[in-house]
Amino acid sequence: MERREFILLIGGGLVWPAIARAQGGAKLHRIFWVSTQAEPDPFLDGFREGMRALGYVEGRTVTFETHYAPENPQALRKIVSELPRGDVDLVVSSGPATRVMTAITDVPVLFALSGDPVALGVVKSLAHPGTNFTGSTFLSLELAGKRVELLKDLYPKLRKLAVLSNTDHPGEPLEWRATLESCRNLGIDAAYVPFCGAREIENALMAAAKVDADALLVFPDAVTLVHRARIAELAIAHRLPSMFGWSEYCDAGGLLSYGANQRTTYFRLATYADRILRGENPSDLPVMRPEKFELAVNLKTARLLGIDLDVSSILFRASKVIS
Amino acid sequence: MTDGAAQSSSCTMPPRRSLFCKYFATLFVAAVVPLILGAAIEASFGYRDQRRQISAVLQADARAASDRIEAFTDGIRDQLGWMVQLPWSAGDDAQHKIDALRLLQQVPAIVSVSLLDETGTERVFVSRLLLNRTGRGIDMSTDPAVLGARGNKVWYGPVQYQRDSEPYMRVAVAGSLPAAGVAIAEVNLKLIWDVIAAIRIGETGYAIVVDDSGHLIAHPDISRVLRGRASSSSFGRIKHLVSAASGAAVITGERGSPVVALSVQAADLGWTVIAMQPTSEAFASIRAALWRSSILIGLGVLIALSLAYWRAHRMSGPIKQLEEGVERIRAGQFEHRIKIFSGDEFQQLALRFNEMASELAISQQKSARIERLKQFLPSQVAELVEHSHELLEARRREVAVIFGDLRGFTAFSTRNEPHVIMAVMREYYAAVGAVTTRHEATLIGFDGDGVMLLVNAPIACEQPATQAVRLAIDLQMTVQSLAGRWCDAGHAIGFGVGVAMGPATVGTVGYNGRLDYTAMGAVVNLASRLCNLAKDAQILADPTIAGKVRDSVPLASLGQRNIRGYDQALEVFAVAPADLSLKPPGSAQRGREKEPQDH
Repeated sequence: MERREFILLIGGGLVWPAIARAQGGAKLHRIFWVSTQAEPDPFLDGFREGMRALGYVEGRTVTFETHYAPENPQALRKIVSELPRGDVDLVVSSGPATRVMTAITDVPVLFALSGDPVALGVVKSLAHPGTNFTGSTFLSLELAGKRVELLKDLYPKLRKLAVLSNTDHPGEPLEWRATLESCRNLGIDAAYVPFCGAREIENALMAAAKVDADALLVFPDAVTLVHRARIAELAIAHRLPSMFGWSEYCDAGGLLSYGANQRTTYFRLATYADRILRGENPSDLPVMRPEKFELAVNLKTARLLGIDLDVSSILFRASKVIS
Repeated sequence: MTDGAAQSSSCTMPPRRSLFCKYFATLFVAAVVPLILGAAIEASFGYRDQRRQISAVLQADARAASDRIEAFTDGIRDQLGWMVQLPWSAGDDAQHKIDALRLLQQVPAIVSVSLLDETGTERVFVSRLLLNRTGRGIDMSTDPAVLGARGNKVWYGPVQYQRDSEPYMRVAVAGSLPAAGVAIAEVNLKLIWDVIAAIRIGETGYAIVVDDSGHLIAHPDISRVLRGRASSSSFGRIKHLVSAASGAAVITGERGSPVVALSVQAADLGWTVIAMQPTSEAFASIRAALWRSSILIGLGVLIALSLAYWRAHRMSGPIKQLEEGVERIRAGQFEHRIKIFSGDEFQQLALRFNEMASELAISQQKSARIERLKQFLPSQVAELVEHSHELLEARRREVAVIFGDLRGFTAFSTRNEPHVIMAVMREYYAAVGAVTTRHEATLIGFDGDGVMLLVNAPIACEQPATQAVRLAIDLQMTVQSLAGRWCDAGHAIGFGVGVAMGPATVGTVGYNGRLDYTAMGAVVNLASRLCNLAKDAQILADPTIAGKVRDSVPLASLGQRNIRGYDQALEVFAVAPADLSLKPPGSAQRGREKEPQDH
């Protein structure tokens, strides 16, 4: 037994270095970035950062070709149909753009979704996507109810909640339904303030201010993320405790946020991009789900609001406190 | 030119190649075989040592991983223990909830915690994803977690994959007091990844964790874990192979390449930590040693080849020279000398060869000289010359001289055509030559129809007189038989012989390379006179001969005769053997015919 192993090992060992050398080699990879948003794009920045951390150099080993079609899925369809097949190594999409990407079947597509990719129909299962799609989900849907609960913990007097939601976001109806159910459980009235795309954000903010709510819940989404400072400002102006999906909102003045770390998610997406560029099949790469959720509190905002908040019930749970 | 070269190479190359092969085989065995043996022995010992060392390293790493995983689960168990220290009392729910939320904050891996009272009813539930619940909830008294914790204080549930992807496990802890109830935590096992990912064995070695049935729990590549049960068959096989082996085992790894693997059991959980390292890295040092050895062996082969070539070349050069020398000698170039200064046996051989060549040259010169002498000397003389020069030197000695002469030859020669004369002469000369050779006498020379023979010079014989007489008889009989045939052809030719013995001067006389051996003295004249006196078929001898052969040969005295050049008359004897007395009838007539010619 030992001798046979020994011979096998010598034989295999002498061959191995040649095989190892045959792999590798620098190549310029083309990555298509498709989004229904407009620049500045915080998601692209996160992804770029991840690729840089993995040793990719923009212009040398990787190029990003961005395609934005703000609030216009039809325009995205056109981009997809004109995609130069065989020349693009990877397509990365986020948010609503992913729905359009289903038309692509021969180029690997990476996604970052708030919702459930199985429900969206882009993958067959989380463990085995079985298609040219894979990526990560933020589990926003699962957290929707939890956000209401946390807001209520912090502000027990909460009775009426304004819910600002971009209807252009995939899984948005499910998120709204989960929120609504949670509100019902906690005895809160939910005031739905829908808008569609960045153009309507201003109007939506005006509308939210007018519903006479005790607090504001904003669904995490690229549009609200881009306009987070404006939303936070409005919430403070109307003395509304606000709840968001990512800690970036709190940095911009939001009161509370609960959700997966966005940077971590995009960093992981970049590792998948790396693996696909190295030749792995996306259908074998399981969809990633976050296992750590951040609860961020902005105490400065809490002071600015000047209302009675049960900060102690939240502080010991917070992973990030801004003061 | 090219033909010659090709020919020479074709006849010299085969031996050189075979020499080359022999040298190569010898040097190969001498240099390369010990190298190969050394390398093989070193590699096998190295392999054994390396394997022992790798086993130790893998054991340590697997043990460390197992310890850290146990620390991870022990941490959860201990933290849950805090939850069940105090018995439940009314209105405690809020405090318990805060404790549970703190627990979530403390232990990131815990996704949710249920706190049950002594009846097994849920009182508090907090979660990272779901809404928290407080107050009396569902009855969980029959849940295996509750039963397990009550029986064993601590219960570790089986690994389950949420949505068939993320590994989860439930841990339940019961308080020491039954009234304290049970705490059940749902643990996301993805968090063990940190423990496993931190383990690096060498450059590319790593550790994985599988449960009892081969389901993957932790792997440095988290995506393998997220594939859920689908990959468990492959990891189940690895676990089975590694657990079966004592110590490290070489198995086919998950990527199909061979790995060295070793497993350690995590006691409480029934999990197995498998530490593995690709053999390509684990045995890199041995491989390097083997490469070094291969290079050395290759070098050895090269050296053996070049040495063999050099030696074979050194051998074949002299051999070729010797061969060429032999060829030249064969062609008669005795002056050819071989020049080899290798200081070894070849030089010795060349020396001997040169000696041989010079001796051959001398011998060749001798035989050439003899050949030349044979052309004009009687063959006995010629042979003698070869052996001793001194024999031919002029000296005085006792010799017997025989003269023979044809009778009636003058008349014959005037009457006949030259070709008839020459035919008779050829027969006559041949007969005389044959008799001379037969009796080992020396043929001094022919003089027309006359012939002169010498006995006892230059070669001495025991009884020269007797031998001379016998020769004379033989000569007479031979010529007589010829004469009979000539007579039948109508030529009247007879033959007379004279024999005398006495001291004479013998030696070679000549000029310019023309050398003759001859005898001079009274005895020669005497023999000549006797010959002249002799009638056909008669042999006349002088008194000296007669005195010496009287007992063996019948002689008849012819009385005193006057001989020219002698003052006194000499007694002349006729040799009269029995066979000579029977003379052919015409002999008397032939004798008579001669007489007037000579006198």
